[in-house]
Amino acid sequence: MKRFGQALKGALKNLMMIAPMLLAIIGAIGLFKTYITPEMLKTLFNGSPLHDMLVGISVGGVSVGQPFLSYLVGGELLDNGASFYGVTAFILSFVTLGVVQLPLSFSIFGLRFTLIQNVLALLFSFVLAFSITYTLQVFS
Amino acid sequence: MKNKTGIVLLVLVGIAYSVLFALNEPKALPALQESLHVLLFIIPILAVVFFLMALLNTFVDEKSIAKHIGEGSSLKGWSIALVSGILSHGPAYVWYPLLQDLRNKGINDGLIITFLYARAIKIPWIPMMISYFGLSFTVIFSIYILVGALLQGLLSNQLNRVLGSRNL
Repeated sequence: MKRFGQALKGALKNLMMIAPMLLAIIGAIGLFKTYITPEMLKTLFNGSPLHDMLVGISVGGVSVGQPFLSYLVGGELLDNGASFYGVTAFILSFVTLGVVQLPLSFSIFGLRFTLIQNVLALLFSFVLAFSITYTLQVFS
Repeated sequence: MKNKTGIVLLVLVGIAYSVLFALNEPKALPALQESLHVLLFIIPILAVVFFLMALLNTFVDEKSIAKHIGEGSSLKGWSIALVSGILSHGPAYVWYPLLQDLRNKGINDGLIITFLYARAIKIPWIPMMISYFGLSFTVIFSIYILVGALLQGLLSNQLNRVLGSRNL
């Protein structure tokens, strides 16, 4: 029990250390959600697979929020002429990349881990967006 | 952990809010409310994460980690990383301290990266994904995420082996 108490203290100390960064990120999320609207995002897509994939990954990577938001926005983008490649890329990068979280990741895991993780996630957003859409076309 | 970076960032976000409030208060207020909403949402998850960290530090030592899911991870290690990634709740950054604790105890980076990528499968939101994009898309998407998570974990371990102890 004594050991658990000490472990709790250690965990609390960890929380206090990351608290400023956590609060900063939460503050930034509020700004992103309020100032970057789905209407702004729609204007960036044009229906071309490569262009939409690039835009989808860029926009998804800087967007923040609950995953269902990416489905809502993705559905609207499809209705407004964006390609499935672009929408898949957008959903993928929305849930796997996080530009807003980069400073926290860097401060906790270090530069090398953060770089490897995010570069791989970025590359896989392209590869998987293409593979998912292609597989879907083959099966439908 | 570089604590100063967090304080600097917090001050910058504070300045951004002050400027926005001064320029257009009716628009800046919802941003602040949105942030408070996010904060309230993550507090219970943070509590769970820190309780798990304390449990981990009390009952799990480096030796047992190394035996089951350390260097040269077995199928068991990769499976645990995938399943726990899928089941983990809340934003990824809430899990960072716990994951760093596990790294310190000997879990390799590949497993952490696999865990983080597998989080793209969100079980509670699957019905919504099906309703928007169909069952076929959802199944194919989930399978590719699992394969992608595993491949990224393996690739990152390979990269770490090539880079050795070199700092970037």
